[in-house]
Amino acid sequence: MSEVIVITSGKGGVGKTTTTANLGVGLAERGKKVVLIDTDTGLRNLDLLLGLENRIMYDLIDVTEGRVTYKKALVRHKKYDTLYLLPTSQVKDKMAVNEEQLIALCNELRSEFDYILIDCPAGIEQGFKTAIAAADRAIVVTMPEISAVRDADKIIGELGRADKEDIELIVNRIRPQMVRNGDMLDMDDIDEILSIKCIGQVPDDELVVTSTNRGDPVITNRNSEAGQAYRNIVGRICGEEIPFMEFLEDGFLVKLRRVFGW
Amino acid sequence: MSEDVMFKGSRVGLQLILNETADFGNIRDQLKKKLESALNFFSEGTIIKVAANRLTKEQEAELSLLFKRYGITLQAVDFSLQKSISRKQEEIEAEIPGIRETTIINKTVRGGQEIICNGSIVIQGNVNPGAKIIAGGNIDIQGVCRGIVHAGAFGDSNAFVIADHMMAMQIRIAELVARAPDHIEKTKCTERAFIRDAMIVIEPVHRLGAG
Ligand SMILES: Nc1ncnc2c1ncn2[C@@H]1O[C@H](COP(=O)(O)OP(=O)(O)O)[C@@H](O)[C@H]1O
Ligand SMILES: [Mg+2]
Repeated sequence: MSEVIVITSGKGGVGKTTTTANLGVGLAERGKKVVLIDTDTGLRNLDLLLGLENRIMYDLIDVTEGRVTYKKALVRHKKYDTLYLLPTSQVKDKMAVNEEQLIALCNELRSEFDYILIDCPAGIEQGFKTAIAAADRAIVVTMPEISAVRDADKIIGELGRADKEDIELIVNRIRPQMVRNGDMLDMDDIDEILSIKCIGQVPDDELVVTSTNRGDPVITNRNSEAGQAYRNIVGRICGEEIPFMEFLEDGFLVKLRRVFGW
Repeated sequence: MSEDVMFKGSRVGLQLILNETADFGNIRDQLKKKLESALNFFSEGTIIKVAANRLTKEQEAELSLLFKRYGITLQAVDFSLQKSISRKQEEIEAEIPGIRETTIINKTVRGGQEIICNGSIVIQGNVNPGAKIIAGGNIDIQGVCRGIVHAGAFGDSNAFVIADHMMAMQIRIAELVARAPDHIEKTKCTERAFIRDAMIVIEPVHRLGAG
């Protein structure tokens, strides 16, 4: 059975694209057939994170407007041959794809793929509405800071209005030292406001940035804590019960309190 | 996500406040969005007042039509004339339909969402930061209140707000406003905000029948 998952956040720059790329690679590593759809028109960078920029021939809008079949536009990953990208257009109009078109496309893709991940633009404008329309499941990415959590709250409200009930949370860029000092929201603070099931706590990790530059998502790096966190999320998406990890810092074990329900 | 349209309770009834500088297209779109949102509970027969000098006759007609679909009457009034008229509570109540009714909402109200109700409101969930509740009657939040709440929005100074954890950004009752302190601690018991001696006070309270 195939699943359409939208990765969304409200606030920009919290790690939607990073998450989409990592989960895509992680699922493909497990042998799943995965397609990543980039709907962030004008801000194309999912291709960059995957190191596929130079292989793009057609984009999402070429497909939805019927100029080419989706098979022609899909870009296969160099290393994982079950991972594909459907890139977004860098120049065309933001309104060029509508909800019906994306739903129709996802329904076509369902017959061929196990997972269809949609990287969503920031905000709650039309681009967001289009991106979530086809989704069976939504992952909201946030960061442990007040403005990001407030925006996540708004997004969860909007998802509810669109009758999306299956919503899960990833908290990205956690800095254990700051949480411990009380300078950053901890999981309890976040859960109190958002009260949705958390499926991931990803630490802030330089390796995320260096791997981005290499076009090789951090999830493949066995020495990275963020990589491990993403591998755990992939397991949870596949239905496994995986306890949350403890982050190592300054020789102390920092235990992030477990979120209610896990 | 800025707002050019705002609903406000007042002694002259429910008021629609429009941003001075916003263009009509934006106003219409934002109103549509607000009205479509499943979380606005205007009672049938509600009258919403808008400043007469703010809209052209055509614009007024267009908005009237929009409101009518939700059973709401839009009335353009000259507020400068209305202000001097002090009305009795009975008169206000006679004009506002459903002011004695209670609406129950069994979920968390999230940032950006708004609940407007002529009568009283019970919320079985949290009211998050950036959420707004306006009630002609009382507001009872069976959860944490971190948003903006306005009880007795049409001038009923006997109205009150109850919350399991009262951490509201702003509490309004009738014409009075109380702002949250800059640092709010999580409260331990259910509290009630009400007017005493022309001030909003907050006191611990036991819910009737709460087990
Ligand atoms: N866990 C992390 N640790 C360190 N840097 C991160 C992490 N997650 C994301 N980043 C960085 O944050 C920036 C924004 O991430 P991105 O995925 O593009 O956000 P979005 O798609 O939500 O706008 C990027 O430069 C990315 O490398
Ligand atoms: Mg992005």
